[in-house]
Amino acid sequence: MLNGLQAVLYRDINIFMRKAKKQIIASSISPLLYLIAFGWGFGSHVQVGDIAYTSFLIPGLITMASLNQSFGINGEINISRFYFHTFDEYLIAPVSTYEIVLGEVIYGMMRGFLGAFIVFMYALIFNVKINFSLLFIIAIVLHTFMFSSLGVALAMFVRDHASQQSLNTFVITPMIFLCGTFFPIEKLPVIFKAIIHLLPLTYSTSLIRSTLTGTHLYYWHFLMLIVFCAVFFTLAIYSLKKVEV
Amino acid sequence: MQANIAVDVKDIVKTYGTKVAVDGLTFSFYEGQFVGLLGPNGAGKTTTINMLTGLMKPTSGSVLYFSRDFLKNSIEAKSYIGVVPQANNLDRDLTAYENLYQHGLLYKIPKKTVKTKISKLLDFAGLVEYRDKLVKTFSGGTKRRLVIIRALLHEPKILFLDEPTVGLDPQIRRDIWDFIIKINQSHKTTILMTTHYIEEAERLCERVMIINNGKLIADGSPDDLKSTVGAYVLEIYTMERIEELFFDDRQSAVDTLKRCTKPCKVREATLEDVFLKITGRRIDA
Repeated sequence: MLNGLQAVLYRDINIFMRKAKKQIIASSISPLLYLIAFGWGFGSHVQVGDIAYTSFLIPGLITMASLNQSFGINGEINISRFYFHTFDEYLIAPVSTYEIVLGEVIYGMMRGFLGAFIVFMYALIFNVKINFSLLFIIAIVLHTFMFSSLGVALAMFVRDHASQQSLNTFVITPMIFLCGTFFPIEKLPVIFKAIIHLLPLTYSTSLIRSTLTGTHLYYWHFLMLIVFCAVFFTLAIYSLKKVEV
Repeated sequence: MQANIAVDVKDIVKTYGTKVAVDGLTFSFYEGQFVGLLGPNGAGKTTTINMLTGLMKPTSGSVLYFSRDFLKNSIEAKSYIGVVPQANNLDRDLTAYENLYQHGLLYKIPKKTVKTKISKLLDFAGLVEYRDKLVKTFSGGTKRRLVIIRALLHEPKILFLDEPTVGLDPQIRRDIWDFIIKINQSHKTTILMTTHYIEEAERLCERVMIINNGKLIADGSPDDLKSTVGAYVLEIYTMERIEELFFDDRQSAVDTLKRCTKPCKVREATLEDVFLKITGRRIDA
């Protein structure tokens, strides 16, 4: 059953475990820097609505860290496509496309959960109060599924390392800074708000923050995430079907 | 009894924009045959293999394996073809065993039998001591053997070898040749191998198809192909170039040699001469 999916996960997890220590340490650095700069640096006297800025920031960092990890499989797929050609093994194997995509997406989700877990540890260390709930789990599952699927889809369009870089410059970094990770988007001009509401990260940030801090939860944002998940997953399958060496 | 037609390729074309990489190839061959696709770099050999194995889609034309359309039944067909690509596309951070085990998963080999199959193949390739070592520590020849046995793990009926010895030392190349011959004989595997090494095609293949600029220009057994130019060659070294005269038998070549005033020598004809005669240039040029 689902041998293709097993094969993808067997490879990805084995390789990840070999480098786990290095990967975990490397992934721990950037959330910590953000916490120091924004949380301690200027956030200690700032309030967002009723909550302290650090409590506002932690869910944003959870969203960012898990996004970076989940979408990061995009880079791994590129290396295996263009440098080591190991991805060709999947293209010639008698397995259906969706198993390959699903395998990579599940791996991306695992990395995403790891990213979230690291920030949780910081929240514990810095004694920032957050609520852990079932709705949060649903939100983070959808969030990591969505960005892993986007990672797989875009990995098939990218032709080399340079275009890989520009994906981060033009898509990921702007989203991280604009979609409510570090500040509430309510304060932005209307035109910006309109653009921001087209971006998927806005909805995952909103859900992850509301479920963790107990602020008002917009249930329709779940629906938006499900739609984005479906679109990106379909796009990933479509682009993998089209891909040639 | 006539053997089954294993591979039947009809008029496949691959174009990139205005560039035609493969220009209407048509060929077929029988189960158990060892066929070579010989041609210079850029002739369209790898593109052909890529189209036959699902890495690229042909712009037009059809590929049939055992009379079944490959593109329409690709998942089924892929389970009985094996591919050894030009690059050693192994996972460097996995061990030899893990690379093979992953392949076993991809090809739905039952978990009960996969372990014994892997052990047998590691033994067959002389790689038992490398079983649990990471691939990134392997030499080129060792990696090559591992890529080849990986392609054999699911016992393919048809094996594609894309430039199997490119970049290897002459000694290792000979080892790999012996290994490939062993596969063809012991597993009765049908093999299509691309190469631009004349000697490789002559030594391994019972039938050689020569391609140039994406077109098939000659097809036959190495001996038949060579007999179209003459079995023996008299090379005459002039100031500007090496002049070549072709003879059907050794004696007439030697007789001409005796009357020759310039430095010269007699040698057997090779597939290179066949290529040169048809295209006017050398394979490695």
